[in-house]
Amino acid sequence: MEYPQAVPLKYGINPEVCLKLTKDKCGTCEEVCPANAIDYTQTQETITLDAGAIIFSPGFKPFDPSKFDNYQYVNYPNVITSMEFERILSASGPTMGHVTTFPKLPAKPKKKKDKLLAKKRKSPKRIAWFQCVGSRDMNKCDNPYCSSVCCMYAVKEAVIAKEHAGGDLDCSIFFMDMRTPGKEFEKYYQNAKDKHGINFIRSKVHSVTEDLDTHDLQIRYVDELGQIVTEVYDMIVLSVGLEITPETKELADKLGIEMTANGFCKTDSFEPVATSRDGIYVSGVFNNPKDIPESVLDASAAASAAGDALSEVRDTMTKQVATIPETNVVGERPNIGVFICDCGSNIKGVVDCAHVTEYAKSLPYVTFADENMYACSQDAQDKMVEQIKEKKLNRIVLAACTPKTHEPLFQETLKNAGLNKYLFEMTNIRNHNSWVHKNNPELATQKAKDLVRMAVAKAALAEPLKEEKIDVNASVMVVGGGLAGLTAAKSLATQGYDTHIIEKKDQLGGEALKLFKTAQGEDVGEKVAELIGAIEANEKITVHTDTTLEKVEGFVGNFKSLLKTGDKTCELEHGVAVLATGAKSSEPTEYGFGQDDRIITALGLDKRLKENDTQLDAINSAVFIQCVGSRETDRPYCSRVCCTHSVDNAILLKTRKPSMDVFILYRDIRTYGERELLYKEARELGVIFIRYEVDKKPVVVIEKDKIKISLNDHVLNQPVTLETDLLTLAAAIVPRKDEKLANFFKVPLNDEGFFIEKHAKLGPAEFATAGVFVAGAGHYPKPVNEAITQGRAAASRAATLLSKKDNLFTSGTIANVNVEKCSTCGVCISICPYSAPRFITEGRFEGKADINAVLCKGCGLCVASCRSGALHLRGFDTNQIFSQIFALGEVV
Amino acid sequence: MADNDTKIVSFLCNWCSYGAADLAGVSRMEYPADIRVIRIPCTGRMSPKFILSAFREGADAVWVSG
Repeated sequence: MEYPQAVPLKYGINPEVCLKLTKDKCGTCEEVCPANAIDYTQTQETITLDAGAIIFSPGFKPFDPSKFDNYQYVNYPNVITSMEFERILSASGPTMGHVTTFPKLPAKPKKKKDKLLAKKRKSPKRIAWFQCVGSRDMNKCDNPYCSSVCCMYAVKEAVIAKEHAGGDLDCSIFFMDMRTPGKEFEKYYQNAKDKHGINFIRSKVHSVTEDLDTHDLQIRYVDELGQIVTEVYDMIVLSVGLEITPETKELADKLGIEMTANGFCKTDSFEPVATSRDGIYVSGVFNNPKDIPESVLDASAAASAAGDALSEVRDTMTKQVATIPETNVVGERPNIGVFICDCGSNIKGVVDCAHVTEYAKSLPYVTFADENMYACSQDAQDKMVEQIKEKKLNRIVLAACTPKTHEPLFQETLKNAGLNKYLFEMTNIRNHNSWVHKNNPELATQKAKDLVRMAVAKAALAEPLKEEKIDVNASVMVVGGGLAGLTAAKSLATQGYDTHIIEKKDQLGGEALKLFKTAQGEDVGEKVAELIGAIEANEKITVHTDTTLEKVEGFVGNFKSLLKTGDKTCELEHGVAVLATGAKSSEPTEYGFGQDDRIITALGLDKRLKENDTQLDAINSAVFIQCVGSRETDRPYCSRVCCTHSVDNAILLKTRKPSMDVFILYRDIRTYGERELLYKEARELGVIFIRYEVDKKPVVVIEKDKIKISLNDHVLNQPVTLETDLLTLAAAIVPRKDEKLANFFKVPLNDEGFFIEKHAKLGPAEFATAGVFVAGAGHYPKPVNEAITQGRAAASRAATLLSKKDNLFTSGTIANVNVEKCSTCGVCISICPYSAPRFITEGRFEGKADINAVLCKGCGLCVASCRSGALHLRGFDTNQIFSQIFALGEVV
Repeated sequence: MADNDTKIVSFLCNWCSYGAADLAGVSRMEYPADIRVIRIPCTGRMSPKFILSAFREGADAVWVSG
């Protein structure tokens, strides 16, 4: 078993070292295993599966830096890989989350003294990270691509290391280009620099030597001024890249799918998860190096692609999951089980969890309390189910992280134990306690006890609740007719759902219509026209151009939107919505933009390339300026696409006219993944890259026959002046910032106006609002292939919901009326924003109030306003909230 | 509730302030440990009776946020 959270959580035998298998000796494990689970005779089996489609996600392996003799990874114990450092930071890792150095051990430790050495670890004072180990390197390894994730993880590791070690740890990151083009990544990088005091040094370290006595690591590098610098560190972390294994390549060959020269899957920008072989789809790092959110998007997109292909046979092989019958606990005395989660060291590092667990046992109605290292891990969950059954627990309290992310998971555990999922109360001793009171362990422990006592008091009053079925209208509204929206619509329509596209302009295609070529060289205009053709030919899709959204009512499964086309309005009923409103290029306010027609934006150049403007051939010198309006104080994000776009266009100009001088003025070149090959190609073609600092921007002077650009050359460290006929500005990508639309669907926007998804890593194509999904540049700037992937991913998430249409239920935590007490005053009816309460019109209780369970959002407004005390909010009832207040008042 | 320290009872809306308190944790902000959070589905759920009751139980302050 590699780590305690492995899935499945089962031990395996390593056949290479097992004495029984190698020498037919020992056999102890078979004797001691009480479950008789050991079977030495098991061998490899061949299983045949019939499948309609294959999704290939073989992943990667971290680069092995052993062959780099200059970093001495093999010989120096304190030169480690980033993956090893990740384990050091982990609470379940070898050092329990403490950052320590490793003592030097003799090659073959013999004496007891030598073995004891292994335990002698000290805290490092200085740690250095070396970037691009096994990436962007043709010299020592054959990986010319950028691994995309290492810059960000190095910054994260440095920040966490400082957090774990306290203030005096010195962290330095040695890098070539700092590549943080992901959503919110640039801000994280700037914070790491400004707030956490992490040093960023632009240099490639050429050698490491170890002091024989102290084991200090001495490094030598050339700084930006060309001086050789020698420094001493305690620990060096090699930021190793991502690599495709020979086994994966072999398997891919066997499957008959095409790969790039670097072993990644070859995909088209417009079908970014389809391999060269029909019916086989790809996701994850094998489909180019990528971070977690992009991998999750890839996975959803691959599911949608497979779903499209198999739409005809949908639901023909479905099997029903057996539901566990619910135990009736009504009228039983509460039998509360309390579970305290350590969350590794996240909680336990501050709160005395063992003490809180003991304390919980002393509380009224608590018959069982237990402490878990990670309550959310599969093994802890299985154990919880057993404990609930064995101790006949009928109310569960969990003191752990936030119910906002983890409540559903534990409610599922209750269901598996045959308990109604509302007999559960979660209290937050991590986000609201250990994380925010880390310097006050005693007060935090006291607070945890108070919170557990309050939760127990509330749980004692919990009742089993029923969920009502929701009818789902299986049609879709896609807002935005750009690439992402069109892709989502096409996929959902292919899977059989009626789809409506709302586009405010008079034609479909969005910003993609302005693009010339993708990074892979495909003609965007041609492909978009093809896609629009397919959309228009699809009978399931209705396109509403020149249309705006005026009003949205309802909730998941039952939205009603008011569309306005010209003077006409019409109402559209739909079950889900995909928001794909996109983003646009900003208008630069610097470098003389707008004063001269030789100064254009990247889209302006695309337009001229698209029109095959012959004037381009007359140009002798072209200059690109990067980060125009991006990565600055008032727009602190990276626009992600511009580096590749400019490099690509520079190549186009240079190949069009090789004698042309082409310059790219940049801050960091962020050609992530295999886009790096374009950067390499551009340099080989003679495109000149000059770096500038944000506080020393290039100065543009417009003259009659030339545009003059002056800046400091980073290699020569001398001012230079370039003369050019064409200045292309990589203008920032700005979101539409449509607050009206965000309000309609009650979805959030970030400071810059991009939509905030449900979860930055695990929910990148959906919103926290049920039934509403997000795709495209409205979420964050992204190139064609990523917009399409997210469009597909949103479609996949929407289809997941729509396909459950017979299994969708309301929440159980809604209001209900005690008709005996209702005085028919009507306050609840007038106050409810969702029109859930109404008067009963006939029968014994005519005139009394009643709640429509589907419309009720469980806000409790009516409950608070009811003068007769007739209304109750299930799960948050008045007596439950009072019980929490009273529990808080108890003197401990 | 011990007599010598301050206690603030806070009623936080599940959708905004409770999430914000979660985020304060994720961002590792620090604040005094005097707060005890009661999660409510919406501040619409608040009743004056809860506030009075909290004071009666010895709270030095009540914070309703949503």
